[in-house]
Amino acid sequence: MNYPVWDVAFGAGLLIALVSVLHVFVSHFAVGGGLFLVVTEHRALRRGDAGVLAWLRKHTRFFVLVTVVYGAISGVGIWFTIALIHPSATSSLIHAYVWGWAIEWVFFFLEIAAALFYMYGWDKLEPRLHLWYGWIYVIAAYASMVIINGIVTFMLTPGKWIETHAFWTGFFNPTYFPSLAVRTAIALALAGIYALLTASRIRDVELKGRMVKWSVAWILPALATLPPSIWWYIRAIPPELWASARGAMPTATRYAGDAAILAAVTFVLALGALVRPARLHLGYAVALLLAALGTMGSFEFVREAVRKPFVIANYMYDNSLYATPSADDQGFSVEAIDEAGVLGTARWVRQAEGAAAGREIFRVECQSCHTIDAYRGLRRLLAARGWERTRLDAMLGSLDLMHNGVMPPFAGTEAERGALGAYLATLYPAAPAEPDGQRLFERNCSVCHEAAPYDRAITAIRSFDAETATERLANLPELFVRMPDLKLSAAERAALVQWVRARFTAAGEQRAALAVRGGN
Amino acid sequence: MPHDPIPALDPIPLPAPYWLFKLLLIVTFTLHLLAMNFTVGGMVLALMARWGAARDHANRMFTDIATKLPVLLPATVTLGVAPLLFLQVIYGQFFYTSSVLIAWPWFLVLVLLTIAYYGLYYVSARTHREAGAGRSVLLGSFLLVAFIGFVYSTNLTLSQTPAAWSGKYFAGPAGWNLNLSERTLVPRYLHFFTAAVAVGGLLLMLMAWLKRDADAGYRRALFQYGGKAFEYASMAQFAVGFWFLASLPREFLPLFMGDNALATALLVTGMAAAAAAIVVVARALHGEDYRRTALSATGLTVAAVAAMAILRDILRDEYLKPYFHPERFVVETQWTVLPLFLGLFLGGVALWLVMVMRYPFTGGLNETRDGAK
Repeated sequence: MNYPVWDVAFGAGLLIALVSVLHVFVSHFAVGGGLFLVVTEHRALRRGDAGVLAWLRKHTRFFVLVTVVYGAISGVGIWFTIALIHPSATSSLIHAYVWGWAIEWVFFFLEIAAALFYMYGWDKLEPRLHLWYGWIYVIAAYASMVIINGIVTFMLTPGKWIETHAFWTGFFNPTYFPSLAVRTAIALALAGIYALLTASRIRDVELKGRMVKWSVAWILPALATLPPSIWWYIRAIPPELWASARGAMPTATRYAGDAAILAAVTFVLALGALVRPARLHLGYAVALLLAALGTMGSFEFVREAVRKPFVIANYMYDNSLYATPSADDQGFSVEAIDEAGVLGTARWVRQAEGAAAGREIFRVECQSCHTIDAYRGLRRLLAARGWERTRLDAMLGSLDLMHNGVMPPFAGTEAERGALGAYLATLYPAAPAEPDGQRLFERNCSVCHEAAPYDRAITAIRSFDAETATERLANLPELFVRMPDLKLSAAERAALVQWVRARFTAAGEQRAALAVRGGN
Repeated sequence: MPHDPIPALDPIPLPAPYWLFKLLLIVTFTLHLLAMNFTVGGMVLALMARWGAARDHANRMFTDIATKLPVLLPATVTLGVAPLLFLQVIYGQFFYTSSVLIAWPWFLVLVLLTIAYYGLYYVSARTHREAGAGRSVLLGSFLLVAFIGFVYSTNLTLSQTPAAWSGKYFAGPAGWNLNLSERTLVPRYLHFFTAAVAVGGLLLMLMAWLKRDADAGYRRALFQYGGKAFEYASMAQFAVGFWFLASLPREFLPLFMGDNALATALLVTGMAAAAAAIVVVARALHGEDYRRTALSATGLTVAAVAAMAILRDILRDEYLKPYFHPERFVVETQWTVLPLFLGLFLGGVALWLVMVMRYPFTGGLNETRDGAK
C-alpha cells in the first residue's frame, strides 16, 4: 500500500515463482558444479587421463554458459522481480541485510571472474595454476550460498530478530544450518545431474561409461543425505507453520508430496543410469534433470507456502502490511488500517464508493497473491464455494483462519469490508442450492477444517446428538469466537450434521485413523 | 489523489551513515559506467569496423573485440549489482516506484540481456572458426543492449520526477509505461551512448598498446581506428552535453553556473578532462607511443566519467529536493557486519588483482584466446 501495485494479469506470485525456481536450479548447480570440475580435473591430472580432461574442458564451457550467463542474470532477475512485486519487503530485506548482500556481491564478483579465468585458462594455464583459479571459484561460490542462505531462511524463521532487529540474530536463525545442509546436498547432486548431460554426449564408449558412473557417484550419496537433512530442517520450522504442509493447506501439502515423490524418482533414475552407463542417452539425462527440477521447484514452493501469510515471517504480510504496528510504520499495519481504512492509508488508490471501492481494495490488499481469472484466480475459487453475499461477508471477517492461517487478516474498516464483498460478489453467480451436507462442508467448513476424524469441527459435531449439534451450529461465533457467522439455515445445519455422522461412523473413523498414523 | 504519492521511509534504520552509502554508490556506479562503456562502445566499433569504418584489418578487429565482449558484459553486470544495491538503500522510495510504473520494460531488461549475452558467446565462438563472422548476431545483441540502456534512462529519469507518477500509473497500472514525454530523456540517453562510443575507442587504444606480440601494422590500425572514434565521439559529446544541459529545467541551470561551487567545478573539470583527452589523442594519433597515449587518455577519461557521475548525483538530489530528506534517515550502524564487508571488499579486490596478474594474457587486454592461436 506504500508502493504502487504492479497489475500482473496472470499473477504476480507466478512470475516470482517462475523466475526464482529456474534461478535456484541453476545457482545450486553453480555451487556444486564448480567443485565437480575441480575435483574431477585433479583426479584426471593425477592419473594422466587426457580423455577426461578433454571432456572437462567442454563441460566447463557448458557450465559457464549455464551458470555465468543464465545463473548470474537470473539472480539479478530475482532482485528486479521481487522489487517490482514486493517493494516493501525488498526494502526491508535491503535495510536489514544490505551488508549481507554487499558481502555476497564481493563473492559473486570473485566467482564470475574466477569462472571466466578457469574456462579460458584451459588453453593457457599450467595445471596447478588452473586448479588454483578453480578452487577460488569453488570457495567464492559456496561463500555466496552461505550468505544468501542466511537471508532466505531469515524470511521463514526470523527467530529473535523480531525483537532485537540484530543482523546476526536473524542471520543464524533456527533454520539456517539445516537449510544449508539441504542446499549443500542439492548442489552436489545437481553437479552430477548436469554432468550427465554432457557425459551422455561423449563418443568414446569406455570414457563415457566411466564418466557416467563418476557423475552418478555424486548424485546418489548427496540425495541419500537429503532425508535426514530435510527432517532436521522440518524440525526447525515451527510446527504451526509446518502444519500447512501436513494437510491444513491443500497446495502446500500437495507440493510436499510432489517433492518427496520426485526426489525418489530422481534417485531411481540416477540409479538406473548405472545399468548401462556406456549407453546413456541424452534423453535419459534430460528426464533426470527434469525430475530434479520438479523436486527442487516443489521444495521451494513448500518453503514459500508454509511461510504464508507472511513474506517475512511474523514481520510483514504478503500484502506488505506490518504484522505489528510500530512507531515508524506510517500506519501500514493491520491494526492501524482497521482504524484509518485502506482508502485512507494506501498511497496508490483511487477514491471510490461501493463495489468500485472494493475493486481498489482488492488491488492494493489482495493482488500480491490473487488475480481475478488467472493464478489463484478469485472468480474460480469463489465460484467453487458458491457463497452468497452474506456468507461471503462473514468469510471475509476471518480470512486469517483459512487453511491454517494462510492469509493475512482483512485490514480495513467495516464499510470497506462490505465494499470488497460487494466487488467480489460481482465476479460469480451465487446459485442457491438444495442443502447437501457434503457440499456444505466442502464449500464452507473446509476453508478452515479438514474432513478428518481428528478435526475439531468433526469431533465437536460427533460429540453431540444430532439434534443438539444442529442447534449449536446456528450460532457459530458462540462455539468459537473467531468462527464466521455463516447463518446456516435449519435445513442446512441438519444436512451437515447428518453427513458428518454418516461419514464418520466408528468403522470409518478407525480406517481413517490408521491412514493418518501411517501418513505421519 | 488525496495522498502524497511519495512512499514512506522504511521503518528499519539505515545500517550505516548516509554518506557511506552515497560514497559506495558513486564509486561503484563509476566502475559500472566504465565497464558498460567498454561493452557498448566495443560493440559499436566492432560493428562499424565490419561496415567499413576501419580501413584495414576490419575482420581481425571485429574478431578481436568480439572475443572480449563475453568478458566485458559480465563485468558490467557484476559491477552494476553494487550500485543497484546501494541505490535501493537510500533512494528506494523513488526507485521502486518508478520501476513499478515501467514494470514490464524493466522486467524485460533481464530477459533481453540474457539473449544478448548468449548472442555474444555465439559471435565469439563463430569468430574462432572464421574471422569477422557473426555480424548480424552481434547487431542483434547490440540493439537489445541499446534498448536496455534506454530503459535504464527511462527508469532513472522517472524516479526523479515524482510529479509525473500518478497520472502515468493510473493510466496504466499494468506496467507498460515509458517516459517519452520527459524532455531530458533523449539527450540524456544520447549523452551516455556517445560516452560509450568514446570509451570504446579507448578500449581499442588500450588493446593496441597491450598487443605487444601483434604485428606493427595491425597495432597501428587498431590504435588509429580507436583514437579517431574516441575523438569524434568526444567532440560530439560536447554538442550532446549542451543539448542535455539545455533540456534541463531552467531553475537547475544556475547550479552549474556558480550557484553550486562543487557542481560548477565538476562540470568544468569534466569538460576540461575530455578536451585535454581529445588533444592528447589528436597529437599522438600518428605516433607509436601507444602506452603513453592510451594511459593518459584513460586517466583523463576516468576523471571525466567520475566527475560526471558525481554531477549526475547532485542533479538527482536537486530534482528530488522537495521530496527527499536525507536528514530524516535514522541511522543505526551495524558495527558487527560493516567492518567485515569492508575487509572482504578490500580482500576481494586484492584477490582479483592477483588473479589478473597471475593470468598470462600474453600481450592483450583480457586477451584470452588469441595467444593460443
